[in-house]
Amino acid sequence: MDYDKPELLNRLAAEYVLGTLRGRALNRFERLQLELPRARQAVAAWEESLNALAAVVPAAAPPGRVWEAIERKTGANRTAPAPRRWDWLRPILGVALGAVLTLGLVQLAPHLFFSLDRLAQREQALPQSYVGLLTDANNVPHLLVSSTRHGTRVTVKSLRPWQVPAGKVAQVWALPRAVDGGDLAPVPLGVAVPTKPPGSTYFELSANSEQLLSNVPRLAVSFEERPATTGEAPSAYVFSGFCVKLW
Amino acid sequence: MPEASELLRDQLARVALGDRAALRKVYEATSAHLFGVALRILRRRELAEDALQEAFVNVWNHAGSYRASQAAPMTWLISIVRNKALDHLRSGQVQLTESLDADDEHETKQIADERPDPMQLLLAAADALSIRACLEAIEASQRQSLALAYYHGYSHSEVAEHLRAPLGSVKAWIRRGLERLRKCLDGPT
Repeated sequence: MDYDKPELLNRLAAEYVLGTLRGRALNRFERLQLELPRARQAVAAWEESLNALAAVVPAAAPPGRVWEAIERKTGANRTAPAPRRWDWLRPILGVALGAVLTLGLVQLAPHLFFSLDRLAQREQALPQSYVGLLTDANNVPHLLVSSTRHGTRVTVKSLRPWQVPAGKVAQVWALPRAVDGGDLAPVPLGVAVPTKPPGSTYFELSANSEQLLSNVPRLAVSFEERPATTGEAPSAYVFSGFCVKLW
Repeated sequence: MPEASELLRDQLARVALGDRAALRKVYEATSAHLFGVALRILRRRELAEDALQEAFVNVWNHAGSYRASQAAPMTWLISIVRNKALDHLRSGQVQLTESLDADDEHETKQIADERPDPMQLLLAAADALSIRACLEAIEASQRQSLALAYYHGYSHSEVAEHLRAPLGSVKAWIRRGLERLRKCLDGPT
């Protein structure tokens, strides 16, 4: 078969995910997935589309022996689990969860079934995010800093080549809005690493973006000897810019 | 509730590092839903239990291959469970029409009766995804074939038998139906 034809690959992937690909065709396609990234991508795309249909299947609580078997087969030490305080709640939660799932988990939690990009595409809107465009002293944009509203991961995209002086780190700061006339101290968020434009890297926040950035109109980057800790004062800012809410 | 999904993503990342407590959390959060999916396909609880168990052993061994940017956590988990359930179906352990003893027959019947009509499930899914109008524009025979294949794991010939339609027609319905369904699912709401 000529697997170079995208339509054929797409059709096979669709029937594979649906479950109607059987016999030798199934075996061939499973082998093909191991060899051909395009085949895997086609399968992933169909999985993301079709598996949204599974959200309405009524839930059913599996018996405890299933978990015990999983523990055995994954080589867990056989120690008796301590009874948990909320164990009595579990059957009730199971029923409630089943009801919720039947009502349509997709509506309540679409992100469980779609990747963030696909969700944004479906909604025709960008995901709720904090975004900062950081420029140098001449107003030339260098860094795009972003994170989803409830996420803890900050992505730093290099728009232009930039370097950190030897022995220093690029510290990213949140500059909170002043309250009652008094200034609030800058909060260190994390350390950015230069990448070849338009590449990006990320760092993790100590809390989610909403907690750290909801009152932050500006972000800045300074070069420091070592990653700053809360309470430390920044040296001169190399890049800075507005931080906006994307919703 | 974006936290739920992110929590699940985080836990899968921990599972990849060998964190057993994280596996337990993933199981607690998703097993009822995933068991429901396996049960629709396999009908028999003991087989659905096997499929669920194998799926989670798979998650434990392959969590490192999960790519959060490419797939939502539930999408990934459902794929694993459906594939395990379909493996059981294909291996012929499931005899949908015959049974060895009366008890089994009773049990099979009971479970079969509990299974919602796959067409109703498809419509419910369409409502939940706000694609009802788009779905209803798809020919009824195509919709029915897709629903039987997706929710019950029917093969082409099983769908043909169920709908009393020629195999060739069913293959064409599924092929065309898949393309149209994909457009509904991917299109803007």
